[in-house]
Amino acid sequence: MADMKKEFELEGMPRQNVYQVPDGYFDRLPMHIMERTAAKQAPESVLQPHLWKMMRPLFAPLVLLLVFAGVYFFNVASEPQPPVANFASLHEAEIMDYLDDHAKLETADFAELTSFAGPELAAEFLNVSSIAAEEELEYYRLDDLTY
Amino acid sequence: MEDKELLEKFAQPESRNLAFNQLVRKYQQKIYWHIRKMVIDHDDADDLTQEVFVKVWKNLENFRKDAQLYTWIYRIATNECLSFLSSKKRKFFLPINDVAAELAEKIDTSPDISGDEIQLKLQKALLRLPDKQRIVFNMKYYDDLKYEEISEILGTSVGALKASYHIAVKKIEEFIKQD
Repeated sequence: MADMKKEFELEGMPRQNVYQVPDGYFDRLPMHIMERTAAKQAPESVLQPHLWKMMRPLFAPLVLLLVFAGVYFFNVASEPQPPVANFASLHEAEIMDYLDDHAKLETADFAELTSFAGPELAAEFLNVSSIAAEEELEYYRLDDLTY
Repeated sequence: MEDKELLEKFAQPESRNLAFNQLVRKYQQKIYWHIRKMVIDHDDADDLTQEVFVKVWKNLENFRKDAQLYTWIYRIATNECLSFLSSKKRKFFLPINDVAAELAEKIDTSPDISGDEIQLKLQKALLRLPDKQRIVFNMKYYDDLKYEEISEILGTSVGALKASYHIAVKKIEEFIKQD
């Protein structure tokens, strides 16, 4: 036995496979591999709808918010701005013509004025001090006004 | 079916699955035995073989047509084996000899490993080699690959492979004599 060990040479040994596999293993292996490759292919077609299904409830409030924001900004943008009239550039005659044509006062309008007859009420209503009111009156010269 | 024809069929979507199935049937045994001799355990070899072919599937479109298909698949299998063994050593904080001892114990106890006493001794002696040297030995001794083919698989020079194989043979003979 000792001599055999000393003379042992690998090249002289028969090449034997000591490992075994379960019966039919190599018949089943391609099927298992194909199942795994099919699963690798699947995510493109299956995972995306699945993800969309999961994410859909999260998108609903966002879409709602965008709709509200859109409506709000649309209304703000389309709200008619009060026209800014540059009266300084108009001749007094033009203003008077316009008032003659369009400003038609009725007796009811004057009746309304009588309800503000009390001096305290007028000052309070206008939020102007009596001195400032007088100064304001002094500013305009009555003789400049023409009818 | 020739590799060239397999690759052409794989490139066409309508025949891709059929071509791949044929490719698996053609190479499964060579790849499985290559892996099994490295990892010893059947379940590990089964997992790794499947993983190799899944990687082949994913990367076959990018395969360079000037290379040989079977050396490319061998290369993937070899990388998988080496990664598996190194992760096994890291995972269990085991030095190389302890992993070899664990695998040697499997040779003694596993019901799906059997053979002459000298053959089992040879398998246990192989486990005492460094992983890359063991791979070189297996590809030359059992798979009967040419040095040029092994060189293509491992990216090592033919001279280095010849030296590695020669050293491996001497070590194995020495291990068996000592045992």
